[in-house]
Amino acid sequence: MTTTATRPQITSLHVFCAVLVAAIVARPLITETLAAPVLRTAATVFVAVCVQALPFLVLGVLLSGAIAAFVSPAVLRRALPTRTAAAVPVAGAAGLVLPGCECASVPVARRLIAHGVPDAAALTFLLAAPAVNPVVLVATAVAFPGEPRMVLARFVGSVATACAMGWLWQRSGRAEWIAARARRPVAAPAGASRWAVLGEAARHDLVSAGGFLVVGGFTAATLSVLVPPEWMDALGGQLLLAIVVMAVLAVVLALCSEADAFVVASLSTLPLLPRLVFLVVGPAVDVKLIAMQAGTFGRAFAARFAPATFVVAVVCAVGAGLVVFGGLR
Amino acid sequence: MRRETQHVLLVLLGGALLRIAADETYLRYVRPTHRWLLLAAGAAIVALAVVALLRDLRGTPTAEAHDHGAAQRYAPWLLLVPVLVIALVAPPALGADAVARSGTGNAVVRDTDVFAPLPPGPAPELAVAELVQRAAEDSAGSLDGREVTLTGFTVRRGAAVDLARMTIACCAADARANRVRLVGDLGEVAPDTWLRVRGTVQPGSATVATGYVPAMTVSTAEVVPAPPDPYEY
Repeated sequence: MTTTATRPQITSLHVFCAVLVAAIVARPLITETLAAPVLRTAATVFVAVCVQALPFLVLGVLLSGAIAAFVSPAVLRRALPTRTAAAVPVAGAAGLVLPGCECASVPVARRLIAHGVPDAAALTFLLAAPAVNPVVLVATAVAFPGEPRMVLARFVGSVATACAMGWLWQRSGRAEWIAARARRPVAAPAGASRWAVLGEAARHDLVSAGGFLVVGGFTAATLSVLVPPEWMDALGGQLLLAIVVMAVLAVVLALCSEADAFVVASLSTLPLLPRLVFLVVGPAVDVKLIAMQAGTFGRAFAARFAPATFVVAVVCAVGAGLVVFGGLR
Repeated sequence: MRRETQHVLLVLLGGALLRIAADETYLRYVRPTHRWLLLAAGAAIVALAVVALLRDLRGTPTAEAHDHGAAQRYAPWLLLVPVLVIALVAPPALGADAVARSGTGNAVVRDTDVFAPLPPGPAPELAVAELVQRAAEDSAGSLDGREVTLTGFTVRRGAAVDLARMTIACCAADARANRVRLVGDLGEVAPDTWLRVRGTVQPGSATVATGYVPAMTVSTAEVVPAPPDPYEY
C-alpha cells in the first residue's frame, strides 16, 4: 500500500471514503434491516458491548504506552523476583491494582512481554487483573448482599486460576506460540520524546486491539440472542450440568467483570457453586477476550491458552467453592 | 491500512463516543455514570489521532507497519462497524423483544424481607424492579391495599399484557427484565408502548408458580413518551 509519485493509486483512504459513502447511501436499507426485533436487540447489545468496553481499552492502551515510554525493562526486571515461579504470584498480586475489565489488561500484558517480563508472569497478570481488582470485588459484594463468602470464593478462585496458568505456562508453554509481533518494541523514531513514544504505542495498540474487540462484541451479541432462556430454567437441581452450562455461558456472553456478579446474583434458583464458576471463568476466558488474545498474541497462542484456561478456571472455581462454602452449595 | 486512514478512523470512533455522550443517546447502552468514561475515552482517542496526524504532517519519520498477518492488517477496518451502526442507526434501548428472550419469570434476589414503608401520599411512584422485589419478598406486605404508580413498556404474552422494565448493572449486555402482569381493560396496546400505570398489586400473586411476576389490577393507564433513561439500576 504505497503510492508512487507518477500514478495515483487506490489507497486504503479511498476505500475508506467509498465505504462511508456506500453506507450513507444504503442507510435506508440498513435501517430497514435492523428494524426486525431480533436484529434490533442484537444491534443494541453489540453497540452496548463496544461502547462499554472502549473506555477500558483506552485506559489499557494508555497504560501500555506509559510502560513503554517511562518504565525501562531493567526496572521491571528488578521489581520482579528473578525466579519465574516466584514472579508468577507477584504478577497475580499486581493485578489487584488495575481497576479495569478484561479489555484493559490485554494490551498491558502484551507490553509487559515486549519489555522482557517472563511470559508466565505477564499471562498471570493478564488473568488476574480483570478478576481480582477492588472495583470487581466491591461489585460482587454489592450484588451478593447476603453472601459475603462469594467475594472470598471469587478472589481465591480467580487468583488460583491466574497462578495455575502462569505455572502451567512456565512448565509446558513454548515461547514460539506467542506471535513475534507481540514481543516487538514500540516502532518509534530514534530520539523521539517519551510522550511521543507513549502516544504512538497507545495509538497502534488501540487500532489493532480495537478491531478484535469488535469481533468479540459481535460474537457476544449474536450468541446473546441465540442462547435460549430455557437453559437457565432447566438447571435448578442438576449441579454438574449447571456448572458446565454456567461455564459455557460465561464464555459466550462475555460480560464485563464489573457487571457479571449482578447477572448471576439474579439467578437465585441456582446453587452458589455454578454461579461462582461463572464469575471465575468469565473474566479469564470469553469470546471477546479470545478474539483480542488471538489478535494480540496470535492464533497459535489463543488456540492453546483459551481452552487450557477454561479447564483450569472451572477446576479452581469448584475447588475454591468447596473450600469457602464448605461443601456443595 | 495506511496511517492516515487509521487517523481518520480514530477521529470518527472518538467522535462517535463523544456524540452519544453529548446527549442522552448513551443511556440506551450504558448506565448514566459511564458518561464521563465515554467523554474521556472519546477525547483521548481523538487526541491520539490528531497528535499522530500532526506529527506525520511535520514529517517526523515513524517506522512503518511491520510484517502483520492478514488478520492484523484487516482488523482495524472492523472499528468502522460500531461507528457506522451508531451514526446511521443508533439502535434503540432494549425493549419487548429482549424481555421475551429473557425467559418467562422475574429473577428475584434473596436479599431481605424487610422493606421501608412506601412513601406517603396517594399512588407513590415505584421502580418496576422494586415493586417486584416487594411483591415477592416483603413479609410485612407493604404493598397490600396501596395504590402505586409504575412506568414501563408493554410486552405481549399471549393474550396477556405485561408491563416491563430492564435493569442494567453496567451495559445493556447484562440487562435483566422485571415484569408485572397488568389486569384490567387496557384496550389494544402494541408491544413497546410506554405506559404510566396506577393500580394495586394483588396480594400473593408473585410466587414461584407465577415466576415471581406480580399481577396488578389497573385503575388508570396512560400512554407516555419513552423516558430519556429507559433502564433501572
